[in-house]
Amino acid sequence: MCGLAHYFESEGLATVLVGFVREQMEAIKPARSLFLDFPMGRGMGKPNDPAFQKKVIRAAFDLLDAPAGPVLIDFPEAIPVRDGRMGYALPPDLVLSTSDIGDIDNLLAEIRAEMKELQPDYEAAVVSRGRTTVGASELQIGDLAPFVAEFLTGKIPKSPRKGLPAIPLLKLVVEDLEAYYSETRTHRDNIDDLELMGKWFWEETKAGRLLLLLEAISIASDSNVMRQIVEMSLMAPRFWSEGPLPGTSAAGW
Amino acid sequence: MTKITEMPAVARGFISNLDLPVVDEPDWTVPSPPQERRVSIVTTAAVSRRGDKPFSWLARDHRVFNKNDRDLVMTHVAVEFDRSAWQQDLNVIIPLDRLEEMANDGEIGSVADEHYSFMGAADPVTMEKSAREVAVRMKQEGVDTVFLIPI
Repeated sequence: MCGLAHYFESEGLATVLVGFVREQMEAIKPARSLFLDFPMGRGMGKPNDPAFQKKVIRAAFDLLDAPAGPVLIDFPEAIPVRDGRMGYALPPDLVLSTSDIGDIDNLLAEIRAEMKELQPDYEAAVVSRGRTTVGASELQIGDLAPFVAEFLTGKIPKSPRKGLPAIPLLKLVVEDLEAYYSETRTHRDNIDDLELMGKWFWEETKAGRLLLLLEAISIASDSNVMRQIVEMSLMAPRFWSEGPLPGTSAAGW
Repeated sequence: MTKITEMPAVARGFISNLDLPVVDEPDWTVPSPPQERRVSIVTTAAVSRRGDKPFSWLARDHRVFNKNDRDLVMTHVAVEFDRSAWQQDLNVIIPLDRLEEMANDGEIGSVADEHYSFMGAADPVTMEKSAREVAVRMKQEGVDTVFLIPI
């Protein structure tokens, strides 16, 4: 993001940037930048809090009055993060193996029941917010878990979406599945707590279990891409883990 | 403050291994007066209008969305950031409503019709061509101020 700012500034556009990693902002030196001590994914700080959001924007736009730069200042309010991590992380010891897979049809039936129970609140959330972020995969909601489950056989299925291979589609399906759950829960219980949301979905729901089994089968896969998904922490949220990532050596950590 | 050296192990490993571009003499554009500013948002959240082509994992290209678009989806590859906030309120990552209010109150001149999205997981150096195309398009609609917001 800091690099993009340089390109726009060199094109004669005045830029102002907000960012979460101060060391990077210091090193790359965009013209005007505001450091935010917030969790990632929350650039304006707090959802449904217009006053706070505007405070962030005004602090950023104040930098446009600076006579010279680069200028980097800190937004005065912090939104605390837990243990230095700016997002939810699975506990390092919560790792399933292929021997945990068991009866896939039974697991799918449990997920169907779980999702059916959530459905009225999901629909209410969509009406209330006037939007949903579910749907990046373009699969029907009822087809999300079954598509993931196809991978549990150890084979990579055919993509049902023209122009998008199965593994990139799988990534979007995982996102859609999680979004269905978290959009529902944040609305139903009127909560905004990323740690609680991650813990609930990944550690307590049947859909979360399905995705941990997907991680297990990915580690054992012959496909380099499937293994890389785990090793790069692109599927299960382990980026903020004390490590090591499943399937990797602990040597580097 | 979360410092890289104090981050948990996996994140520390990823972030500290990134190659950071060093700019010796950064450009500086003099901003226009506040009431004349026309503002466009650039996000690296890899959001796009529903039905647009998803971002690839190391995408160099960008997507365009209108200031009235609210039906956006995200195809970002990384999982290190929280999705639940933008699910609740688009303005927490792309504050179009806040900017519109500020334009109505005269704090800024106007909100651009078009806003732009990139894939934050990709190396910005690979996005230069696309960013310069965006700059041309911005200037064509009178934008003079860019608000960059990461995810």
